[in-house]
This record gives sequence, structure tokens and C-alpha cells, in this order.
Amino acid sequence: MSARLLARAPIGLLPIAVLIGIWQAVALSGLAPPALLPRPALVFARVLEQLGQPEFLLHAAATLRRLFAGFVVALVLGVALGLAAGVNRRVDAVVRPLVRILAPIPKIALYPALILTLGFDDAPKIVLVAADSFFPILLATLQGARAVEPKLVWAARAAGTSAAASIYKVVLPATLPAILTGCRIGLVVSCIVVFLAEMISSTDGLGWVLVNAARRFQTVDMFVPLIAISVLGLALNLGLSAIRARLLVGFPEEA
Amino acid sequence: MSGVSKTFRRREGGEHLALSAIDLAVAEGEFVSILGPSGCGKSTLLYMLGGFVAPSSGSIRVGDRPVTGPGPDRGPVFQEFALFPWKTVLGNVAYGLREQGVARVAAEARARALIAQVGLKDYETFYPKELSGGMKQRVAIARTLAYDPAILLMDEPFGALDAHTRTRLQNDLLSLWERDRKTVLFVTHSVDEAVFLSDRVVVMSRSPGRIKADVTIDLPRPRRRADLLLDARYQRHVIDLERLIDDAPDVGVRP
Repeated sequence: MSARLLARAPIGLLPIAVLIGIWQAVALSGLAPPALLPRPALVFARVLEQLGQPEFLLHAAATLRRLFAGFVVALVLGVALGLAAGVNRRVDAVVRPLVRILAPIPKIALYPALILTLGFDDAPKIVLVAADSFFPILLATLQGARAVEPKLVWAARAAGTSAAASIYKVVLPATLPAILTGCRIGLVVSCIVVFLAEMISSTDGLGWVLVNAARRFQTVDMFVPLIAISVLGLALNLGLSAIRARLLVGFPEEA
Repeated sequence: MSGVSKTFRRREGGEHLALSAIDLAVAEGEFVSILGPSGCGKSTLLYMLGGFVAPSSGSIRVGDRPVTGPGPDRGPVFQEFALFPWKTVLGNVAYGLREQGVARVAAEARARALIAQVGLKDYETFYPKELSGGMKQRVAIARTLAYDPAILLMDEPFGALDAHTRTRLQNDLLSLWERDRKTVLFVTHSVDEAVFLSDRVVVMSRSPGRIKADVTIDLPRPRRRADLLLDARYQRHVIDLERLIDDAPDVGVRP
């Protein structure tokens, strides 16, 4: 699996290279003034420079900390509620309508209220990240738990597993592929939301770095946090793929 | 265990009567096949015995105790194998023992012995997806035998296998049974299979499922396929049973 990932990496790099090429072409053509769209080389040079700066790394660490905290909360709640609704029709009857009306709400709209109640620190940002990545994880888990072959549960029940224990001994592992798919979406959402929250109100983090640079009209510095969050998302996804390969070793290959 | 008897009705979707007023008693150590066209409810009958599905009316008893749910005294073997994909062959076979409170080392030792018994020595670390259909079913049988159920509930266990594999598994099952003499309820739609394996064949009709005939197969044991195929009594049974099934008004082709 990891060998295959490596083998596929060069092909995956091609579209990224094309994208940077287009950026370079637009920047050189003069369509956008250099003050607004700096050349990629300038931006990447600045990224490398910043990577050596402890201050920038601290901002990245702050973002990563909030992202992880929110994501873990979403993962625990989403999987727990998804499994409960997946195996119990009554829980499902309560959860489903709530999900239908709550999922489409832009959670960022709650952010001002969250700041007022939770203050300006990490808490409102973590809650926002959790609220937004909770739904994809919940829905994936719910659907996955629903699709578990009942005979797997029967086989375990006959072997002496209680109905309650079969939820974490059979339904949970059988739902893992779906849960990990939900996690993949949840992680991307987390990256977006933590960045947004930091842009709106923060004194640190990658989102704040962008806003701060924008206020000073330093366009090159504005691109640095964007690249950073993009690379961060890529790294998180690779990490998730590695975990996935390990956890799903016995499952039939999935796309 | 004195026997299993029951009378029940069951609704499936709307008001469909899947099984109507079934009375069936099976003696300890008896090998009984339930033979019938698809859709006659013969699998449902087995699931109710297993305690996986509740009857709409009537009662099911094993020995003196009524069946209220699954239990390790009744071990199912499914057509779809229903192996745990996240567990290795060893993990699957040891599962029931672990659930019965056997310590890991002892459970694995016993599981290894069973795996060897079903002819899969050296496959302990394989995952189900790496095995052929016949091998998967051998693992599933070993998994069920592991917790030593008094009754085996086999739901078309060889239905998904090719003819050659099927014959080999029939032979192996027969020699296992002739040694252990567990009570077996064996659902099948193959007349040959039913006659070859059973002490008794219960023939069912469709819509609603009813017991149409109860035929005792008075062939000597131990049975060997080569002898049996030439035996006039075997041929007689096969022909009679096929006629019984053909007589059923088989309206249309319904899966």
C-alpha cells in the first residue's frame, strides 16, 4: 500500500506542477499586477524562509493544535452517535431529522455567538471545527453502520457476544472503512474552518498570519499561510492514508 | 436435549405469511436437511432457531428451554461465510473461544488445532479476502465448531461454491459429523446433497412455507459417495424427492 502510494506520487505531482505553471504564466503575462499576484518563485522562497522562523512555526502549531482538538471531538461524537443511530432505530429516528436541519447551517454563522460565550481563546475555534467536521463523520458512520451485514453480528451473538458488546466488537470494526472515509472529508473541512476562524478573530495561527499580511498589503506573505495550510492538509491526508492502510488490512481493496 | 418443536407464523413486509404452522422435532445427534425451493422460508426457519429472528407466533424450544435469543448451544454457518474481514483466520476461529472466556493462549492453541482439522494448516495468518470460497467456508465452520455448539445450523453452506469444492466439503463435513455426532439442521435446495448427508429430509413448499413431507433416509453409515451413487436406495430417494419438489405448483420464476 505505502509502496504503491509512493509509486503514484510522481503522477500526482503533475497536476500540481501544471497549476503552479499556470500561476507563473498569469503572473508573467501582466494580467494581474505583481503587487496582487506575486510570482510563485518569490512565494516559495518566502515559504522556505518562514519555515526556518520559530515565530511562523508557532503560528502553524497553534493552527494544528486547534484543528486536531476540534477534529478529535468531532470524531468521537460523530462515531458514537453514528453507531448508536446505525444500530438503534429509535436513536436513528431522533438523530436523522436533527441532522437534516442542522447540517446545512453554516456553522461559521455561530462564531460570533461562540466568541461571546467562550471568549477569544482556542475554545470557540475548536468548537467551530468540531461542529463542522462532525456532520460528515456522523453521516458516513451512520451509513456504514447501517450497511453492516447482519450475519456478521449474528455470528458473533451465537458465539456468546452480548448485543451491547457486538456494537464495538463487530459493528464498529465493520464500519471502519466508512468511518475513515468520513474522516477524510472531516479533515479537509477542519483545515478550512480552523483557517476561517483564525481569519475572523485571532491573535495567532495561520489564518491570522494571512489577515495580518493583508492589512499591511504584503501579498507575498499572504500566500505563505495558504501554501502552508494546503501542505498541512496534504500531510494530514497522507497520514490518514497510512492509518487506513494499517487498519483496513483485511478489508477488500477500496478505491 | 429432547428435541426441537415449534409452531409459528411470520410476517415479512406487509402481511406476507412466510412460514405457516410449522411443527418440527429433531432428535439429538440427528442430521436433518430442510429442502425446498427458494423463497419457501427455509432460511428464516433456521434464523428463528438460531434466535436471530423472532417468530410471530408459536414457540421454539431447545431441550427444555425456550429460544429467546442467540446462544453458543446453536452455531450458525452461513452461505455468505460472514467471516470477520478485520480478523485473520486464527482470529476468526479463536473469536468464539475468547468470547467464552478462554484465555488467549489456550484459545489460540485450540483454534490452531481446529484450523488443521478443516485442512487449513499454515493459513492461520491469512485474512479472509485472501482465501477462496471453499477455504472461507472451512474457516467459518471451524469458527462455529470452536465454541462447541450442540446444534449446527447450516444455511445453504455450500451454495456459493463450485461443484468440485462442494463435493469435497460435503465429504469433509460428513466425516466430521460421523465423529462428533452433533445435531445438524442443514438448509439446502440440492436434493443430492440432502440425501447424501442426512438422516431425514424435510421437504417444504412455498407461499406460505409449509412442511410438505418428512422423509427418513435409511442409508447405512459411514457413507461413501462412490458407494452411494451406485446404491439403488440412494437413487430411489433422489428421484422421489425430486418428484415431490416438482409437484409443488411453481408459479413463475421468483428469486
